Amino acid sequence: MATGGHLPAELRRQARVTEAAAREVGLDFFDVVFEMLDASDVNAVAAYGGFPVRYPSWRFGMDYERLQKGYDYGLSKIYELVINNDPTYAYLVRSNSMMEQKLVMAHVMGHADFFKHNVWFGPTQRSMVEQMGHHAARIRSFVEAHGQDTVERFLDIALGLDGLIDPYLPLRESRRSERQRATIQSRAERARLDFEQHWGDSAASTRPGPRPSRSAPTTPSSDDLPTFDVLGFLVEHARLPDWKVEILRIVRAEAYYFVPQRLTKIMNEGWASYWHSHLLTHGLLDPSEIVDFADCHAGATAVAPGQLNPYKLGIELFRHAHARGDDLFQLRRVHNDVSFIDHVVDEEFAQTNQLFVYRRNARTGKNVVVDRDWVTIKEQLLRELSWGGSPRIQLAEADADGEGGLLLVHQHEGRDLKLDEAGEQLKTLAQVWEGPVHLLTLEEGVGRRISTDGHEVSVIETTRAQDVCGGEESPQAS
Amino acid sequence: MGGHVYRMERDRARFRDIVRGRLRQDLRKYLSTSELLGRQGKQTISIPIPQVELPRFRYGDNSGEGVGQGPGEEGDQMDGDGAEGAGSAGEQPGKHILEVEVDLAELAEMLGRELALPNIQPRGSRQLHTEGGRYTGIRTQGPDSLRHFRRTYRRALKRTIASGEWDPKDPRVVPMRDDQRFRSRRTHPEPESSAVIFHMMDVSGSMGREQKDIVRIKAFWIDTWLRSQYKNIEVVYIVHDAVAKVVDQEAFFHLRESGGTKISSAYELCLKQIQERYRPENWNIYPFHYSDGDNWSARDTARCVDLLREEILPCANQFCYGQVKSAYGSGQFKKDLDHALGHDEQVITTAIHSREGIAESIRAFLAEGR
Repeated sequence: MATGGHLPAELRRQARVTEAAAREVGLDFFDVVFEMLDASDVNAVAAYGGFPVRYPSWRFGMDYERLQKGYDYGLSKIYELVINNDPTYAYLVRSNSMMEQKLVMAHVMGHADFFKHNVWFGPTQRSMVEQMGHHAARIRSFVEAHGQDTVERFLDIALGLDGLIDPYLPLRESRRSERQRATIQSRAERARLDFEQHWGDSAASTRPGPRPSRSAPTTPSSDDLPTFDVLGFLVEHARLPDWKVEILRIVRAEAYYFVPQRLTKIMNEGWASYWHSHLLTHGLLDPSEIVDFADCHAGATAVAPGQLNPYKLGIELFRHAHARGDDLFQLRRVHNDVSFIDHVVDEEFAQTNQLFVYRRNARTGKNVVVDRDWVTIKEQLLRELSWGGSPRIQLAEADADGEGGLLLVHQHEGRDLKLDEAGEQLKTLAQVWEGPVHLLTLEEGVGRRISTDGHEVSVIETTRAQDVCGGEESPQAS
Repeated sequence: MGGHVYRMERDRARFRDIVRGRLRQDLRKYLSTSELLGRQGKQTISIPIPQVELPRFRYGDNSGEGVGQGPGEEGDQMDGDGAEGAGSAGEQPGKHILEVEVDLAELAEMLGRELALPNIQPRGSRQLHTEGGRYTGIRTQGPDSLRHFRRTYRRALKRTIASGEWDPKDPRVVPMRDDQRFRSRRTHPEPESSAVIFHMMDVSGSMGREQKDIVRIKAFWIDTWLRSQYKNIEVVYIVHDAVAKVVDQEAFFHLRESGGTKISSAYELCLKQIQERYRPENWNIYPFHYSDGDNWSARDTARCVDLLREEILPCANQFCYGQVKSAYGSGQFKKDLDHALGHDEQVITTAIHSREGIAESIRAFLAEGR
């Protein structure tokens, strides 16, 4: 049931009508709770990633500043904000017209259905609003105990590492059968058992220095490596005081909560747009609102020359699949952007939607249309979207050169890293690990090893990188 | 919903603190660039700072390939450049420049701290006290003519709703005595001090672009500082080659002239302005003059010294001359001034060789606190 304690009666009624219409066409969702906000409050909530209860950080202040400026200058305006949670929360902007409110409500129903049924969202925390509140309380207690500057500094470091996770991990883990899950202890326990097996209780950690806060030191076991979940590895194995480990844990939990939204951006927006368009043009709109709706919808799905708009691409993918006779509800359940595009895009789709591949002309610095072959287009699209659009960085060894260093491997898929920034990222990593950190990558086909001890960064040429980075698709257990 | 905003205000304030910290750290850098010029509003200045980003593993530039949508043949150049493909849309924060508003007063305070500038002691006899009588206060009693309608109505409305008497169909609100609020006058004595700044710049042919830039940066910071010291301040811009004229700020910062140099023309114009509009009884007077040190003739220089000694110095707080080294300038004027007036503590002269010297020169001008 859609509720809305803070809504005016008319919008409350509209929410009920929209919900009924959505259920009528087969959408299914948790309770949807609408809340009404002023435009500047919406910007604030958006800056918190949708969670007004989130922990304090200047970074949210910065995001807010940017959103608010964009709004003040009339450059950008946030229409919709939906939170994947049970109940699903959604925000309405007070200054919107009735037609816009209808559009947003119908759009929200699409997202809410997607959150509940898409398999990638299955393992996400559904009481995240509450969870974020807990996280915030924890972090505030750390601030009280250790001081704002200290906590802030570490939080920044931890946030800088939040891209180093394995986007496929939650789904993989949730697919393990109940029985299996029952017998496997927590990662920490498992690691401790491994340690005892390997070393016996008289063995000391090979790395110097005590680990003050943990009862039993753990050493990276072969089970843990290689892994893309660098953050998870650090939670288990970094030599840090409890509160820092807790911060890593919090940042990791939030990163995993948000990751399905990155993996399904095009699908999710496409699905919501498909249904708002359908619902509004099948009875929800007053005839007098049709023209305004068309204008608004056209704005949201507009394509700037040579750009891809996830709303537009997504809705067209679903329409194309529908025309082909696919079961849309099944598609929205089992796919992410990569597999969805792989499934739907064909020659006709590429042609109808005027897709092309462009390349920057190194001499003029301008982008030039280079290819309209649908296979090439599809390959390029999939490459860009794979791994949530980020470089694929795997942690391969935790005792590189026998010096207790971390060795990361960039699985190069044709796109080079920004090396200077990578060096900086390694530095933050080295600060958490309190030991040397190395990264193998390729730069224009030449193997590189970037190393840092947390202060100095050095880059050397190495042929080893060609062997380990150059591989095609890495084996992906799923 | 105010709760959200309240929390955000704290994070925002924290962010601004961080920005201020950076600004303070980098103030020397800003002291030698023209980046801030023309960015000031009435009370604030918007300062561009590179966005504070956490380092991440990101794709570099060589991957300038992507998928787009739209018309065009293979080989055609795309309209709308810098277009991003789907994979990167929204994911790459790019190199945003954030503009942050900082109070001019705060910027001045940073400058003061960086250069260890003393506050100016306005000359005693000119300090007038006025009763700042503005109706900015609120109290519970007062004459009806001062009733604050909005506050009164709001209190009455709140009471009506709270007591359950509110009827949307008959939205009548009757204020009681307790609801009434009145404006009240807040008075506090304030020193009424005014100042006028004269920026005189040599725009003759020998002053190159770089020299003018240096002058402009200096003028900007001097303005910023003096504005923080006086409540009421006016700035007069004078440019001169062989003749002088008063120009507006825009022209001062952008004008390109050429020709000979007759410095006395500027001093005469400055004096005329003082006599006609800025009587020394009412104004603290700050003439600044910038040139590359070339003058038309020794006779004109003598005339300048006379004007300063007899007319300008007696009514000004101090006189500052900033000489900017140029390829053609002889630098003779500073020598002449130092020789003639060097003993006078009201006269401050500096020589700037490059942008790095700006901060030191500003300090020299303002360190006396006059």
